[in-house]
Amino acid sequence: MKNGLTIFAGIFAIVAASWAGLLLTAHRQYGGLAQYVDALDGNAYPLPLSGLADQGRLVYEDLGCATCHTQQVRRADFGADLDRKWGERQSYARDYIREKTVHLGDSRLGPDLRNVAARGYVDGTFLYKLLYAPHSVAPGTNMPAYPFLFDVRRVNPGQASPLALPFTGRFAPPAGSEVVPTRRAVALAAYLLSLKDTYDYPVERAKNTPPAPEKKGEH
Amino acid sequence: MNSPAQPNRSEQMEIDASAKWPVLVLFGSAVVWLILGGALQLIAAIQLHTPSFLADCEWFTHGRVAPAAQNALVYGWGFNSALGFGLWLMARLSFASLRHGGWLIVAAKFWNLGVLLGVAGIMTGASTSFELLEMPRFVTLLLLGSYGLMGAWLVTTFTLRNTENTYASQWYLFGAVFSFPWLYTLAQVMLFTAPVRGTLQAVVDAWYVSGLYGLGFVPVALAAAYYFLPKILGRPVANYYLAPTAFWWLFFATAFTGGSRLIGGPVPAWLATTGAVANFFLIVPVVIIALNLFGTLRGAATGSVTVRFIRWSLFAFLAASLLNFALSLRGFAITAQFTLITALRDWLLLYGCFSTAMFGAAYFIVPRLTGHAWRSSALITAHLGATALGLLLITATLGWAGWEQGRMLNHAATSFTDITKALTPWFTAYSVGLMLLTIGHLAFFVNFFWSLGARCPVTGDATPAVFRAPPAMEVPSA
Repeated sequence: MKNGLTIFAGIFAIVAASWAGLLLTAHRQYGGLAQYVDALDGNAYPLPLSGLADQGRLVYEDLGCATCHTQQVRRADFGADLDRKWGERQSYARDYIREKTVHLGDSRLGPDLRNVAARGYVDGTFLYKLLYAPHSVAPGTNMPAYPFLFDVRRVNPGQASPLALPFTGRFAPPAGSEVVPTRRAVALAAYLLSLKDTYDYPVERAKNTPPAPEKKGEH
Repeated sequence: MNSPAQPNRSEQMEIDASAKWPVLVLFGSAVVWLILGGALQLIAAIQLHTPSFLADCEWFTHGRVAPAAQNALVYGWGFNSALGFGLWLMARLSFASLRHGGWLIVAAKFWNLGVLLGVAGIMTGASTSFELLEMPRFVTLLLLGSYGLMGAWLVTTFTLRNTENTYASQWYLFGAVFSFPWLYTLAQVMLFTAPVRGTLQAVVDAWYVSGLYGLGFVPVALAAAYYFLPKILGRPVANYYLAPTAFWWLFFATAFTGGSRLIGGPVPAWLATTGAVANFFLIVPVVIIALNLFGTLRGAATGSVTVRFIRWSLFAFLAASLLNFALSLRGFAITAQFTLITALRDWLLLYGCFSTAMFGAAYFIVPRLTGHAWRSSALITAHLGATALGLLLITATLGWAGWEQGRMLNHAATSFTDITKALTPWFTAYSVGLMLLTIGHLAFFVNFFWSLGARCPVTGDATPAVFRAPPAMEVPSA
């Protein structure tokens, strides 16, 4: 290897081959994945995000939630994702085309969030409580509190905020004050509440379910 | 040719003198970033067992401080030290002085400005949340431009070389320096300029991250090992004739490993399979490199600080390669994926393999640039000891705790509260490990800036090889 050009051309070819072989091929394969129109209800799935939820996605990025949370449910024979009720089914690539940016995550210091809104106990109030004082709904967690997503302010008599958190006991604000989620908290909650892949695509199900074993000796 | 050729000593001193200020500026910036990034990393680690730590301050919330630390360490410490080391070594091995070094200093300043803005951007809420591409988009061109200037210098120095042959370290440096701008540009374009849709974004990010570690940082560490071991031990690289095979094979196979990071995820299965196959094929170059470098080390007296750091780097390289291969296998990934073990893999690549090699390189290079010895050998011993202890403690902690975490995650009846409770002592041990490393970083920092200011020429042979006065420094240590 006396010639610098050999190394130059070789490295260039390697990077180009890996780009074309992995990224370009994958892009050609499913970069144009489209919504699936259900013939029965006429909806195109996945349903698009609301504007508020899309703003919440930006808050999710800004606060780095993906540092500790994944957003992918692996298939039945790959870990206990389904046993943990993190989803009714595995995640499909098609689920994600509704989001402008996708954060699959690579750490599960916290639970998976891909279907967080499908869990019975999760609603706006639960999420606000979790964000403001994690221990109020999840004792023993090491999730940090996000007090800066909330305003603690004095209640004007007769004009309490409808969004004020219903805290009692040790998490309650001082008497005469209320804890109200800021606009960012509302957006983030809207985004989290949009995470619900409950629609089961017939096309995907057919592709991802192993065929039933062939029956023998019957007619 | 199986060991770096020797120019005559006055030429070599001339080359070192031409590299002095650019390399010292890059190393100085690197050391400052190491302290900053290490502090942020420690904050993030403490928050895992004491979640209220700095939680009220939005800038330091865990989701921001953890990626900020990683970016400061990768782009601040990693790139500055790699370029400083790379420019110096490329000039030496090419027998060519670094010309117009002032431009390099300007480029280094702009690079550091870019990293500073980027890290501040992450902490103030402009993060993109894509791993290692979290920095806000407004720093992209600044980083690319200033990197281009420094990279072009390195490539030009190689092109203008006054040697007949090229040496393994030069190939690895060239490969690392040349592949980064392609990876970075393609990833930026496919994620931000003309974004791909859906989970393809995760594929692009995984491709970039694995390329940055595997084609960027690991080759720089190997360049250091291929240069310093024969140089300091005064013996040829064992089985050197295999080194070109290992080089091409390593680069080619590593370029295809990215998909294995997404095993089990909502992406086409062939991506993960290709990654697993590529990781399997990596066994060959890893074995060759081990034969080359451990073969050179075998039976040698390792009194030199540089050699001892590089030996740690090689152990970490082997461990990280093994872990990478294991993580691309379904049976292991079912338990280990998404746990502290994936974090351990990346940490071993960046810190265990790359950073230790740069520490070793700095201990060799800096005295040759400044013309006088390191100020304190006690601080060097402290750095080496703290690094060794920290490496062992963190590897054991993350490995063991990650495996336990994975087993508990796969046991659906174990609640997250129980998992957190079981992991808390391990998180504490991890913090202790990072504190040990921080002690080492502080020793390095103090020694580096103290040595820059001091004038303390060393006479006699009372000090180890790295501390001798310049003319004597090229003699292999006993």
